Amino acid sequence: MRRRAFLGSAAALGAGAAIDRVLGAGGAAPARAADAPVVAAKPIPFEGAHQAGILTPAPAHAIFAAFDAIAPSQAELATALQTLSDRARRLTSGYEALLGAPGEGPTPDSGILGPRAAADGLTVTIAFGASLFDERYGLNAHKPRALKPMTTFPDDALVAEECHGDLLVQLCANSEQTLLNALRDLMRATRGSLAPRWKIEGFLAGSRDPGAPRNLLGFKDGTANPDTRDPRLMDSLIWAGGGEPAWAAGGTYQVVRIIRNRVEFWDRVARSEQELMIGREKSTGAPLGRAKELDDPDYASDPKGARIPMDAHIRLARPYTPASESSRILRRGYSYSRGLDLSGQLDMGLVFCCFQADVEKQFEVVQKRLAGEPLVDYVVPTGGGYFFAPPGARDGQDWIGSGLFV
Amino acid sequence: MLRLAALAAAAAAVALAGCGGGGGDHAASPPAQPYSKRSTAPGAVARVTPADYRRPIAEYKRYVHRQLAALLGEVGVLRAAIARHDLAAARAAWLKADARYEAIGAAYGAFGDLDAAINGRHAGLAGGVRSPDFTGLHRIELALWQQRSTREAAAPAGDLTRAVARLRAKVVTMEIDPLEYSLRAHEVLEDGIHLQLSGQASPWSGAALVALRAEVKGTKVVLRTLEPMLVRRDAGGALPQARRALRRLSVALDRLERADGSLPRWDRLGQRDRELVDGLTAGAAEQLAYVPELIDPRPARPAQRSFGDDG
Repeated sequence: MRRRAFLGSAAALGAGAAIDRVLGAGGAAPARAADAPVVAAKPIPFEGAHQAGILTPAPAHAIFAAFDAIAPSQAELATALQTLSDRARRLTSGYEALLGAPGEGPTPDSGILGPRAAADGLTVTIAFGASLFDERYGLNAHKPRALKPMTTFPDDALVAEECHGDLLVQLCANSEQTLLNALRDLMRATRGSLAPRWKIEGFLAGSRDPGAPRNLLGFKDGTANPDTRDPRLMDSLIWAGGGEPAWAAGGTYQVVRIIRNRVEFWDRVARSEQELMIGREKSTGAPLGRAKELDDPDYASDPKGARIPMDAHIRLARPYTPASESSRILRRGYSYSRGLDLSGQLDMGLVFCCFQADVEKQFEVVQKRLAGEPLVDYVVPTGGGYFFAPPGARDGQDWIGSGLFV
Repeated sequence: MLRLAALAAAAAAVALAGCGGGGGDHAASPPAQPYSKRSTAPGAVARVTPADYRRPIAEYKRYVHRQLAALLGEVGVLRAAIARHDLAAARAAWLKADARYEAIGAAYGAFGDLDAAINGRHAGLAGGVRSPDFTGLHRIELALWQQRSTREAAAPAGDLTRAVARLRAKVVTMEIDPLEYSLRAHEVLEDGIHLQLSGQASPWSGAALVALRAEVKGTKVVLRTLEPMLVRRDAGGALPQARRALRRLSVALDRLERADGSLPRWDRLGQRDRELVDGLTAGAAEQLAYVPELIDPRPARPAQRSFGDDG
């Protein structure tokens, strides 16, 4: 147990104030998750320079569904992608459900939202995996510059069945019912062209206390995200541009990692020890030794890690060095919970999700800094993948990925 | 099929108010693909009546009769292999017999208790595989694969032979309900998805692909018998699309064949191959689902707005 080793030196600490933090690849900065389950009164437009579901506030529920393309030709793949966008546009706008009538054949709509389906904050974000650009569809030449299959890191325990995929569909909304309606609709409309590969459903804790929502380790998560209201910051950190094929400019790289939390084991650990591993105070989310969630951890005043251990999660994830600031990522993760394993342990944890302009220079740099951190005993990455979310649909006729087929 | 009961109830409430779509509401938000290709019952062609099913069903019954004759022979081979304790030959014969039975899935509903005697599974039995009522092909499958025992298979093989013989005699007089027959256009594959591709139906032999291929074949036979009724009513091209989807699935299954012509175990297939079969089967079911409404043998049901409650 790596954690025992550092206990001695750091236990001296005490107190701690503070709050939050998450796990996964950490990264940093604030904004948004704070208001976790946001209810958008108006539909979130499907069109735009960038896809929705990236900078838009994260609502309470999400589904991440990966697919593999089984369309028999490039043209039919394009049709399937166009269908996906057409359906997504309708679903995200809210619509009058056609429930069916005699003589019409199969019911056109699941009906689970009733005759009038509200937008309910739904976003549909479509992204492509590296495997879509293999020899099958002749798309090799268009592959985004930095797209590759997800790296296997030393602390991973990946399950092949829930890794990678030609395509990722991220659905977010205020309610699960809205997500399930959307998922059924999208899958049905592309059956025979897109085969489901893996799927995971996530949720965010309601805002019981102020600040970022809590993850299933009981710590606040998402405090340190970059400010999504700062377009210049987003251009430098999130949106891919230079060096990308023209069609890809304005897209972003999406990393999804299913990270199981060993919650029973974690719950058998003293709070003080948990806080030293995370680097934040459990109740308030403040960096250890500081008062408030958003306070600067001020590592300059703590060069030896007496207050916040050198291998604490938040310190490794975002050391606040000039170099590390350019590797920041935008996290948009969700908690998940799904049954039991053979030992009777709960299978729950984090669907880590982040966006960035370059996977290697951002997510992977953070991930490498975190390698071997004490927290790894309690978290087990089991799945996920690297994807590229293309720029948004330009107008009501455009569709996500159209630039690949011109 | 529970669904059948529900439909029958709906039919009882018939009024002759015409058929077809829900009126102009559709235009407000037309469904995107593939729903845009949906066909509605065209007014110019007479509605199907149960009498129209006489020929297709008679033709299908002849097909079933031929398949059962072949099955009887295959079960004989299976029984002989079991009797001489030739496990490999018994397994090969079992795969043939199982596929043969899967190829007549559209008639299961008419087989009554004999279907359970031949093709029953342990899932719904108290005691599961140890239940004395667990007999037939899958009891033999358990013996040959899991227990690796021809001895265990001997008694069930005798029972199976008798059940198949009885069924064959019964086919001549059995009734197949027209509505049920039309629904089988996609329900045979629905069973394939639900029972075979989920790994439930042939867990020990892993023979889901073999069964699925037989189900595709059986579905094609159903479509062939219905074709004369369908073509005149199929303005939206449901039949060609269904055929195309079935062809794609058949080709994919053929490509999985090994050098000796056998299909690999379903549970050993790689993820991509599995997804391909899952996806193409689901895609075919989606297309086939448009078939039954085109040839609904019941009187027209009242028009109904396509939108929900408040219309």
